[in-house]
Amino acid sequence: MRAEILERSRGGMWAWLFQRITAVLLFIGLAMHLGATHLFAIGELSYDNIAERLGSWFFVTIDVLLLAAVLFHALNGFRMVVLDYWFSERRSRTVLTVVLWLIGVAAFVYGMWALWPWIKA
Amino acid sequence: MRSNTRTRRRRRGVRGVSCSPLSWGLGLASVDRASSNVGAGNWKGLGMWAWILFRIAGLVLVIYLFAHIGVISTGRAVGPSTINDLFSTFDFWLFVLLDLLLVWAVVFHAMNGVRIVLMDMGIGIHRHKLVFWLCMAGALVIIAGFAAVAFRFILEEGGVL
Repeated sequence: MRAEILERSRGGMWAWLFQRITAVLLFIGLAMHLGATHLFAIGELSYDNIAERLGSWFFVTIDVLLLAAVLFHALNGFRMVVLDYWFSERRSRTVLTVVLWLIGVAAFVYGMWALWPWIKA
Repeated sequence: MRSNTRTRRRRRGVRGVSCSPLSWGLGLASVDRASSNVGAGNWKGLGMWAWILFRIAGLVLVIYLFAHIGVISTGRAVGPSTINDLFSTFDFWLFVLLDLLLVWAVVFHAMNGVRIVLMDMGIGIHRHKLVFWLCMAGALVIIAGFAAVAFRFILEEGGVL
């Protein structure tokens, strides 16, 4: 039964597995992320408010983990949708995967750069 | 796996080639329903809506993610005053409502995702509709909580409360 599910995951076994792992990470991380911004700090969001939260190593760690997990989950999810309709050729599929990885890594580097003053501290 | 006459008849009903263009990519038409994602390949009813809304929410959130990284990064890329101006713009009631819609999309996607992970692990396959409705009930409670906070904020900003 599980073999069948794996066989059906046409995007590849590792992508399928990491999609689940990042899903669990996101479920926990986003609960804290949304709780902090939408419930406890609603209407109070500002540079100082966020800087204060990022002052704790806990929230910086959560944010870095979220950034990596969400980028993988989002771009792989997008890839799965696209693969359901287009890119049936092996070669073009590889091109799609590589392009999405480049976008993901670039966005991760940019996000890390924006967080750097707090990561360094 | 149970296979009395009733389930067998039901299974025969969902087999066969799906005719909707949206299901072409699924390739699930002949997969045993009990061991696949619930409702996939069954191009009608609850499973179809769960699948469509899951995808739409997911795609919306992909777009939002990049907007979010862009907006939040202005704090360092442009400066604190720019991000503060953006935040005060987002306190306008229309943006709060749009934000609430995004939260709803996240919560629906997350709770349906919980169901998918459970199905992939083989938990609750024989009670998949119950699992679906339990997840949706959980989603509804969380959504109501976020809505209560957001509407209170809008009413307070507008001077009503």
